[in-house]
Amino acid sequence: MTRYFENGAGELVPDALAGFARAHADLVEYEPAEGYLTARHTAPARRVGLLSGGGSGHEPLHAGYVGAGMLDAACPGRVFASPHNRQIFRASRAVAGPDGVLHIVKNYTGDRINFGIAAERLADEGIACARVLVDDDLASDSEGIASGRRGTGATVLVEKVLGGAADAGMGLEALVDLGSALAGRCRTLSVASAAHHAPATGEPAFTLPPGVLEYGVGIHGERAEHTREQGRVGALVEDMAGALLDTLRPGPGDEVVALVNGLGSVTSLELYGVFGELARVLDARRVRLARHLVGDYVTALDMRGFSLTLMAADRDTLAFYDAPVHTPALRW
Amino acid sequence: MTTAAFDGSQTHDWIRRFAESVYATEAELTELDQRAGDGDFGNNLAAGVRAAGLLLDGTDRTAGPAKTLGAVATAFLDEIGGTSGPLFGLLFQALSRAAGSGPELTTAALAEGTAQGLAAIRRVGDASPGDKTLVDALAPAADALRAGAGAPPEEALAAAAEGAWRGVRDTASLTARMGRASYLGERATGIPDPGAVGVALFFASAAGPVRTLKPHLPPE
Repeated sequence: MTRYFENGAGELVPDALAGFARAHADLVEYEPAEGYLTARHTAPARRVGLLSGGGSGHEPLHAGYVGAGMLDAACPGRVFASPHNRQIFRASRAVAGPDGVLHIVKNYTGDRINFGIAAERLADEGIACARVLVDDDLASDSEGIASGRRGTGATVLVEKVLGGAADAGMGLEALVDLGSALAGRCRTLSVASAAHHAPATGEPAFTLPPGVLEYGVGIHGERAEHTREQGRVGALVEDMAGALLDTLRPGPGDEVVALVNGLGSVTSLELYGVFGELARVLDARRVRLARHLVGDYVTALDMRGFSLTLMAADRDTLAFYDAPVHTPALRW
Repeated sequence: MTTAAFDGSQTHDWIRRFAESVYATEAELTELDQRAGDGDFGNNLAAGVRAAGLLLDGTDRTAGPAKTLGAVATAFLDEIGGTSGPLFGLLFQALSRAAGSGPELTTAALAEGTAQGLAAIRRVGDASPGDKTLVDALAPAADALRAGAGAPPEEALAAAAEGAWRGVRDTASLTARMGRASYLGERATGIPDPGAVGVALFFASAAGPVRTLKPHLPPE
């Protein structure tokens, strides 16, 4: 029960958000009654408010990407639970631009429904609202999964590129087209050698024998369809990157943006090792690694695992990716 | 009362009777949802009508149907957790919008609002008729109201309620594809969908409160 340092059940998220807002008071503002965060600074040319959200436990997602050049608002729900439609509705109303508001939603049923209800309420008030659905998880790409691929690590890349595009004055429809195209050009694979611990119980979500990996986990401790021997990281990364590249098949003129992402309790030492192996695989396949991020960007509480995301990108995408950003978790 | 419309006060009474129906059948709804969902639907619906009642206490009965229905929509959308409660809110929001600024809720506006509410709920939840959700009661109710355009509201609503109850009974034989019941697969077969029951309660309450679900459900 006492694994997590907190004031009590139900206090973990609101306490963290209040502290986060205090720590980054120059960048974000917290609305504690409604439970959302907004950016203090936004580009004058931006016509569309960008908003994302979803369950907490994925820090720095979502609050960490609120700020100049990226999100105008984030709606964190309780741990691994969708935000309430009221929270999304009111945050959207607060940050809608002259051309409306864009919701960046990870593909989970609860998020789809709550963002959808908020969108209906916005429409009722005459506020234009549209959605980009992120569904990059290769492990859930199966005919048998009616709800479709899950949204995971690619969320950060999509939010960054759309932030750059919004700052350039792109309108709502164009942002939706760009975002949907981006989401289609991203795939992620995640592995874990140990589960996260549930805050409510302090217990691990599942247990594995030593040396065995879950190959294709989700970001809520969902187990994968299969396990494999952990083995050397080079062989593991080669298999993961191979599966991503075989699906994405970067076209002529495409380069890739890579995200090597820790799921909560993997060390930097390991993540850079993974990145080195990934770069080696890309070189061998003559795929040009245009940009990369290495670190904890979309976590699953304290899960011991990592994810690899590749996004096939053209010159315009890279220009938006390179545009300045200043948020608590991403800055250049 | 003119025969082709409800005024604000009658709309108010309808919502009050809906609340009475929900309180009277809360235990039955909970039992259904324990067998075909996650067990909190009766509770959520009761919380919705309770929040709506509190908002209505501060609303002028003669203010017009749109105000009353708008208050109910806000209560369901803002105050209720989960997803099915807020989905009911979308129906009330559409009814409120269709009622317009006039003093009466016409049969035509009821038909239009119900159709719009159904469309919004389907957009958001991705559910089609036959998925064993509240859509299975709302779609036949919308059909009945469209067919009854021009009829007095009592008649049109009686037909809508009958359609909704028929839809409820039909859900018993379905296997859920959406919502919590979908995780139960065949185990929820034979049990009517609680969300659909909620929709039927709303339309049936136009005529009078529903005291028990039994006469409307398929025999066990």
